[in-house]
Amino acid sequence: MSPSRGPLRLFRATLKYSQLQNCRLFCSLAENVTGSRIQSYTSRSSDPYLNLSIEHYLLQKSPPDSAILFLYTNRPCIVIGRNQNPWVEVNLGLLDAATGTRDTATDSTKPPALGSVDLVRRRSGGGTVFHDRGNVNWTVISPRDGFTRDKHAEMVVRALRGLGIDRARVNERHDIVLDQGQRSRKAGLSDDEHTTPYMANGSAAPQPLKVSGSAYKLTRTRALHHATCLLQSPNLNLIPDYLHSPAKPYIEARGVASVSSPVGNIGIEITPFERAVFEEFVALYDKEQSQKDMEEVGVDSLEISDIRKGYDELKTLDWMYAQTPQFTISKEFGNDVFSMTVRHGSVLESTHLSIEMPKLHEIKDWRRYASTDIGNWLNNILLIPSNS
Amino acid sequence: MAARVSIARAARSLASSAAPPRQLRSSGLLCCGNGAAWQRSAMRAAALEKTSLRQELRRGFAASATAREKKYTEDHEWIELEASGKIGTLGITTYASSALGDVVFIELPELGLEVNAGDAIGAVESVKSASDILTPVGGTIVEANGALEDKPANVNRDPEGEAWIARIEVRDAKELDGLMGKEEYEKFTSE
Repeated sequence: MSPSRGPLRLFRATLKYSQLQNCRLFCSLAENVTGSRIQSYTSRSSDPYLNLSIEHYLLQKSPPDSAILFLYTNRPCIVIGRNQNPWVEVNLGLLDAATGTRDTATDSTKPPALGSVDLVRRRSGGGTVFHDRGNVNWTVISPRDGFTRDKHAEMVVRALRGLGIDRARVNERHDIVLDQGQRSRKAGLSDDEHTTPYMANGSAAPQPLKVSGSAYKLTRTRALHHATCLLQSPNLNLIPDYLHSPAKPYIEARGVASVSSPVGNIGIEITPFERAVFEEFVALYDKEQSQKDMEEVGVDSLEISDIRKGYDELKTLDWMYAQTPQFTISKEFGNDVFSMTVRHGSVLESTHLSIEMPKLHEIKDWRRYASTDIGNWLNNILLIPSNS
Repeated sequence: MAARVSIARAARSLASSAAPPRQLRSSGLLCCGNGAAWQRSAMRAAALEKTSLRQELRRGFAASATAREKKYTEDHEWIELEASGKIGTLGITTYASSALGDVVFIELPELGLEVNAGDAIGAVESVKSASDILTPVGGTIVEANGALEDKPANVNRDPEGEAWIARIEVRDAKELDGLMGKEEYEKFTSE
C-alpha cells in the first residue's frame, strides 16, 4: 500500500461524514418546513443573500395555516426594496473596500472603516436599509387571514418593553421608534403598543428615533413581514454617507423612493433580544408551547435546491440592476442637454447614445459610447461596485 | 361558506390598524412570485409585434359592441370578455384596491406573454408591500395598460374602469364558468 492512500482514504471518509451531517441538517429543515404549524429559526450565517433566500423558502414552502419566526444578523450590507433604483438610493462608490473608506478612515472621530459592503435587492417592497452586526432582522410569516401591517411590530414592541425599553412604540408607518420626550406625569405604562409616556408634543420637541423598519411580501395565502432592529450598531454615523447618492439629482425615476428617518440604537444585547422576541412569538401563536427553542440554520441549507436557486438569483447583476424600474438620467453640458432613458436595465432612448448597447451594468467604460465629457460623467454616476 | 367568511375577515384586517376600518385585503393580486416569466418575455413580445396578430386582435376588440357579463374571482380580480369571447380585459376589484392601500408602483406584463390561470402577470407595491397580480384565465397577453406606469395611483381611483391592467387572448373561455357574477361577488365581499 502506498503511503499516500491512508490520508486519501481518511479524506474520503471525512467527506462522507460531513455530507451525512449536511443531509441531516437540511433534510430536517426541508421536512420541518412543510410539516409543522409553528416554526422558529435563527441563522448562523451572516450572508445577506443566504438569509433572504432561506426566508423566501420558508414563505413559499410552509403550510398556509402555519406561523414562522426567523431571526438573523447580516454582515455590513445595504438592502434596497424590490422596486427601487440603486443609483438613486445608494452611494455606490463607497461600497468597494478598496476605495470606499478613504473619506472616513482619516477621520478619527468616526469608527473604523467598514470595508466591503454588500448591495442587495430584496423581494419585499419598501425602502433602503443598512444592516450590520449590531442589527437583528426579525421575520414573521403568517396566514393572510388575520394579518395586519402592525401585528408583528406590536409583538416586537411587547418584547422590547419586557426588556425595559418602555420608550418603544409602533408608529404610523408600521415602524418601531423610541420616543425621546420627557416622561409625562399623567401617563402610566400603557398596554397600547402605539403610545408611550415619552411621546413629545410640539414642533420643538425631540423627534422619535427609528430603531426598526418594516417591509412586506404578500402572497395569495401568506403574509411575510420582515424588519430590521438596531440594537448596537457602531456605524450609525456612517449610514447617511452610504445612503446619499451623488447621482440622485440627475435621475427621475419610477418606482419607490425611500423615506429617510433619524435612527438610533436600542442599546441591548442580541441574545436577550432574540429570546424575548421568541417568547412573544410563542405567546402569540404557540399557545400550547409546542417548541422549547429556535432551530439553527446555516450555510448547509444551500443544499436545498430551492434555496440555492433563490440565492443564485439574488446575486445576479440582472436582479440587482436590470430589475430597476424605468428611469431617465439627464444633465446639461454647455449648450447641450444629455438625456437617456433606461428600462429593464437597457437604454430605451437617448439624445446622444445608440440604443444598440450592452445593459448598463455590463458597461465598464462609458467613453466607448459617448463623448469624453459625457462618458467621464456617466462613469462616475453609473459605476457598478467591483465587489458586486 | 366558512372559508369565505374567513377570507372576508382577512380582507378587513389587512388594513393598517391606524386607518379607519374600511374594506380590506385583496389577494390574488397581492401575490408574490419568484423571477416570474412575465419579466423576461420582451423578446417574444417583439416577435409577436411583427405578426399581424395584434392588429387582428385589435380589430376584433373594436368590433365588439357589447361586452359579456363581468366575472370576479375569490382573489379579487375581474375579467370582462368582449362579445366574440376571445379577448378579455382584466384588472383588480375596487374591494382589492382599497385593501392594498396607496399603490405607488406597478409592473405590467410584456406583450406576447403566455400564461395559465393563476399565474402572475405583474406586480404592485403599496405601503411597503410587494404583491403579484394574477390572471384568472390562461392565454396570451395582447395589451397592457401602459398609462398605469406613470400613474399607478389610478389603480386606487378607478380599478374597474380606466385602471384595467391587461387584455388577454383567452385560450379557453370555459375557464370563466367557475367565476362569480357581480351579485355573487358583492355578497362574497360583504360576508
